[in-house]
Amino acid sequence: MAFPLALFSSVRFGIVLMSILFVYCSIGSAGVIFPSNGELVYDQLRQWRPFEMTEFEWFHWWPFDLLMVLMALNITVTTLRRIPLKAVNYGVWLIHGGILMMMLGCWIYFGTKVEGDAPVVRRMVTAELLGPAAAGAQPAVVDRATVIASPGQRFSLTDGTRRYDLEISSIDPEWTMRSGESDSKRAYSVNVMVRRSGGAPDDGVPASFMRQLLAGYPQHTEDVIPSGDPAQPMKRAIKAVGKATVDDGLRLSLDFAPAKWFYLRMELEKAWALYVRKAGDTEWTQRPIHGMPLYNDYVGDTSLVTQEPGDRPLPADPINVAIPPVANDPFPDLTLNVSGYLRYAFEETLWKDGGAQSPPNPRAVLRVAAQSGEQENYTLLALDPRSNKGDEGVVQFRWAPTEEAYNALLNKPSLRFHVPEIELDVTEPIADVAGANADAPFKPIPLPKAAPQDRLYSYRVIAVQDEVGFSTGNASVAIVEIKTPKGSYRRWVFSDPALTRDVTDEFLKDPHAATVIGDPSIEVQYHPGHGKSFVTLVAGPEPERLRLISSLGERVQSTVIEVGKPVPLSDTLAAAVMEYQPRAIAERKPVIVPKAQRQRDAGVQFSLARVDIPGVGSQWFRYHPYVFDSPAAVLRRFPFNPQTVRLPDGRMMEVIFSRQRLGLPANIALDEFVLTSHIGGFTGEMGSIRDYMSRVRFRDTDTSTWTEPVSVSMNAPVEYAGLAYFQSQWDPPDEPRFEGDRGSSGLNYTVLGVGNRHGVWTMLIGCCISVAGMIYAFYVKPIIKRKQREAVYASVAAKGKQAEVAA
Amino acid sequence: MKRLTLVILLIVAAMLFPGRSASAQANDFASSINLENLGRIAVFGDGRLKSFGSHANSMMDAISGPKRINGQEAAYTYLDLLFRPEAYRDADIIYIKNRQVRESIATVLEKQPRFGADIGERMATFRKTGLISPMLLGDQTLLGLFHQLEADLIKTAKQMDAIKSAQVVCDPRFLLNRLRIVPPGSGSMDEPWHGIDEVMFVAGKTSAPSSFQMLAQQRPPLTDIDLALQANIADAWRALVNAWTNVDANGVNAATASLAELLPKVAPDLYPNQNRLEWEQWYFVKDQLTRTWIVYMFSLVLLLIGFVYRWKPAFALGCLVFAGAFALQTFALLLRWYISGRWPNANMFEAVTTSAWFGGCGAIVIEWLVRKTTMRSLFLIGSAATSMVALMTVHFLPAYLNPNISNMMPVLHDIWLYIHTNVIIFSYVLIFMAAITAGLYLVWRVFGGGPAFARAGGAGAVVLAGVGPSSIAGSAPKVSFGEVLDGVTMVLMELSFVLLWAGIAMGAIWADHSWGRPWGWDPKEVFALNTFLVFLVLVHIRLKVKDKGLWTALLAVVGAGVMLFNWIVINFVITGLHSYA
Repeated sequence: MAFPLALFSSVRFGIVLMSILFVYCSIGSAGVIFPSNGELVYDQLRQWRPFEMTEFEWFHWWPFDLLMVLMALNITVTTLRRIPLKAVNYGVWLIHGGILMMMLGCWIYFGTKVEGDAPVVRRMVTAELLGPAAAGAQPAVVDRATVIASPGQRFSLTDGTRRYDLEISSIDPEWTMRSGESDSKRAYSVNVMVRRSGGAPDDGVPASFMRQLLAGYPQHTEDVIPSGDPAQPMKRAIKAVGKATVDDGLRLSLDFAPAKWFYLRMELEKAWALYVRKAGDTEWTQRPIHGMPLYNDYVGDTSLVTQEPGDRPLPADPINVAIPPVANDPFPDLTLNVSGYLRYAFEETLWKDGGAQSPPNPRAVLRVAAQSGEQENYTLLALDPRSNKGDEGVVQFRWAPTEEAYNALLNKPSLRFHVPEIELDVTEPIADVAGANADAPFKPIPLPKAAPQDRLYSYRVIAVQDEVGFSTGNASVAIVEIKTPKGSYRRWVFSDPALTRDVTDEFLKDPHAATVIGDPSIEVQYHPGHGKSFVTLVAGPEPERLRLISSLGERVQSTVIEVGKPVPLSDTLAAAVMEYQPRAIAERKPVIVPKAQRQRDAGVQFSLARVDIPGVGSQWFRYHPYVFDSPAAVLRRFPFNPQTVRLPDGRMMEVIFSRQRLGLPANIALDEFVLTSHIGGFTGEMGSIRDYMSRVRFRDTDTSTWTEPVSVSMNAPVEYAGLAYFQSQWDPPDEPRFEGDRGSSGLNYTVLGVGNRHGVWTMLIGCCISVAGMIYAFYVKPIIKRKQREAVYASVAAKGKQAEVAA
Repeated sequence: MKRLTLVILLIVAAMLFPGRSASAQANDFASSINLENLGRIAVFGDGRLKSFGSHANSMMDAISGPKRINGQEAAYTYLDLLFRPEAYRDADIIYIKNRQVRESIATVLEKQPRFGADIGERMATFRKTGLISPMLLGDQTLLGLFHQLEADLIKTAKQMDAIKSAQVVCDPRFLLNRLRIVPPGSGSMDEPWHGIDEVMFVAGKTSAPSSFQMLAQQRPPLTDIDLALQANIADAWRALVNAWTNVDANGVNAATASLAELLPKVAPDLYPNQNRLEWEQWYFVKDQLTRTWIVYMFSLVLLLIGFVYRWKPAFALGCLVFAGAFALQTFALLLRWYISGRWPNANMFEAVTTSAWFGGCGAIVIEWLVRKTTMRSLFLIGSAATSMVALMTVHFLPAYLNPNISNMMPVLHDIWLYIHTNVIIFSYVLIFMAAITAGLYLVWRVFGGGPAFARAGGAGAVVLAGVGPSSIAGSAPKVSFGEVLDGVTMVLMELSFVLLWAGIAMGAIWADHSWGRPWGWDPKEVFALNTFLVFLVLVHIRLKVKDKGLWTALLAVVGAGVMLFNWIVINFVITGLHSYA
């Protein structure tokens, strides 16, 4: 028998193939365990540098495909040659046939598989600024802006004279209406805060108001305006002024926000891409990156990154992946190149000492520790007014270029009042600041005995601001109100007397024409001293010299402090300088997060790619899950920081590092997002959620009408135009995340899983056939055999009887 | 000989029977508290209405894990922690599972002389039991260590989360806040329930003691509930607080009884059936009836004696005990179904117990079919051993197999949860049972059995019984143990082979419309396929080798190993999409 035929009709060969498949599956899926340095180490083999494969890729690698082909051949040849097609063998034929059919289905399915996810926003707000309407005609739109409906989105409109600053202040996904025929119906409600400036001053429109928009009910759009009544500060415009909207020059509307793309799933297959566009363009051009790794860190020069102490040192292992221009590329002459990749890293500013050549830039890490064990570290930069204070000024770090400047810091903040006419010259410590308290008392300035006692001067301190950055350097200011025999003045008293001025109404109208000082008879000087700080670390006059001023007790104390040596501040507190660089320079570098500290389900969220740009150099680019067109389209919780690069010829290029995306065959809009809950409603606990449901509409790219809404929910996908859509992620309620942010009631977008599913029926039928075959082989075949045996025995018995009879 | 073996085995079994430990005897006050009253009170949380006992159980889980504080019922400890927190400040109640974490905490604390001379001893106990007091755990000197533990996301961050949540749950303010026992006055299904802290200030016959101010913020009465009823509830609650702090068990019982009576009046239609709540309470007090493993152990001993010595009375008694154990297990399963309102197969605890129960069902049916053959009693043996192991696992490792009832994740709400999961776990239990008979076969071989195997293996043996020459299916005495054991392994293997393959295919059907792909090479899927591959090799190798019995037994054990690897290692170490079961 010919060699291959013998091999492929061998059951033993089949057993070998199955065993190899078992091993291949095990190491690909669970990984490997091996001894290393006397310890058993567990690792995922497929993620190692030579492989860099996802599960999907490991199981579509050529060795796997080869194994599958060999198995298919083995099954086919063995079945045809070794298993006669007769009743007792129907089962085996069915099993083998079914499995072959299933393999065919898999080949179709995985050969054509596309899978990704598409974020779909619930609504977008279109704002239009209207010009004056000619008689009988529609007013012209003079400015227009569109943003997605998401709390905190800001945008503005202007026609040169009028300016509108708008902000989506809140969204209620389930607003209950209270008007007429829509009473108690629920709608998606978007509140837009409108601030207006310019325009005719007496058109009756308040400078700021709130406009409420209801999805599906444009007729119920209405404004809420300030009422001036403290009991009810905001009033519906319809009640206050008799009309629903107060400003007809501004038109706001809610529209569907069509989603056009879906982004390929990186968990399935590597699908990196770089997106480029000319600065100012809205459309991105996608450049797929083929051959870039996924799991390990690659960098040619390890000094480009920082590692945590104790982390295993990264080997120098560069990559070199070209990203050539694509068709209709905005930069057809520019081939980019990926030269580094980090799976999980953050860019951080790192400080080091610049050496004697660098200008002084004192930087210190000051630790204040209590006996109880609590401690706080402050990282301070003496010359940077934004980072030379800690805990709102309780701790500060200052640079004293001269010994005189250092001595000035030993004092508590004070004001020196000088009226030469009456020889008044007193220095008063600053005890309180009045702030917004309009009733704070004025403090009389003590008069010299010789002075006429009717010349009364008094003052109060409104505010103190130390170390404010100016273009000319840092300065401190005390805002003081003074009463003099001539009148009352609000004087901004600077540590640099040249800047001191009185702030009057006249000054506010035209600063250049105003008198600088209203009453020059009194001079005021501000000596900030160490301000309100209890602990002041001072560097200088020599950059290496450090001293500590403590004003915790009654007396101000000054001590020399050295790095690493704690200095007591009080009975229970001590301060120590942990780090000090007199001439610090900053460097921005990615810090690789040690494996043990990585979030397990973070995926590629924190990856960075280093891209070489010809003529410019290399830069790190942070991964973005989605590529938005503009800040107006950014979903809550997703980053959008395109980096702008100036090419040598002056062209500006915007770049985003992300994953590949494909156009959806039909646009999708999210009509509604419904969260169903168990008993008690949604309480914020995950256990209270019963189901997530997106009500979506489709629109073929060549038509302009949306379909009726259909529901996509867990376990209930929808198919449209050859793709299946699954419920994948949702937008949960959220508190404000940073200062100035708005909280969100959530449900403003959904993320749908998108995928095709060719060949699933072939797979399924194959499986069913093989199951039928197994049942036949195990449970029907014995019955057939039993019948056959019984027939044999019967005939033997009959023959015996015949023989008996014959005998 | 056989009688002697029986006696010895039964004595050994009886010694294994865990006696009531001395620590289980709580003080008089604790034992005089009527837990049934508490059981009739429903608590709202996590989208569910639970009995107070079940709620207390899940809360205490966060503090003391699988350990019971002073042998007290969780419901008692919950209220005691709430009303007398000072008694627990320095009591060892917080459980730390990870031994390395224990070690590092102990190393820091034993260096602190201010904790007294016995700190070394206390730390030694802590290393052993894992229990430590909130005071020690809250010590400032541990902060640095905790920062370190938090940073290591793979090894210790989870442990640190557990420690932190234990500390939070210990706080009486938290325990009070979680007592959401007042239904919304509207009776609406969609409104959250009120906490008792929202009504406890409402003045009635008594007014709120000043100690309440420490626990919660005073608020105006609720607007959706009749004021008089609120006042009555508040009075009952205050009576409970007072009675508890005065160690007055009768007062506590009277107060809980009146709470259990008053609370449903707020929204009678919404309030859950108090019968169900009481059963839930009972179910948790009785440790989900997982002690049934002991009954299974007795039946296993009897059945084994019956099989080895072919001794009918032992077999009959074994069957009887098995029936009792199975009845208990069925009752526990049905009770859980009744309490949770869904078939129990949505988490690891339920998967393990339900799959063992399936094994019992399968064994009884097959036993009936083979009752006249030599294979008799072996299926019961397999099932008894399996159920015993399964129930022991859930009984002794509640930290891994959490018995608490919670809502299912939205992704699980699908008809295929019931089809796919049950078919798979049925196949898994059969695989385990096959491994037991295969193991017995291997033992028989070790003790000198020859290379025997069942000629017409599997179901064929049963079908062909009585036709032609003697086989294991007959009652011929000549058949060796090896042949019988191999035959039984094959019957179980064939069944699990079909069910596993069908179950995988069913999972693919579900995954296709749930995850968007029928097959995702998720580790759990791959290892289900791997288990199937082992049996595929078994089926084919049986065609080729001479010592069919040995190969079958070896591969059946390997297959069960892969299946258990899938269930244990993949679930707890390499989590994929199947993280819930």
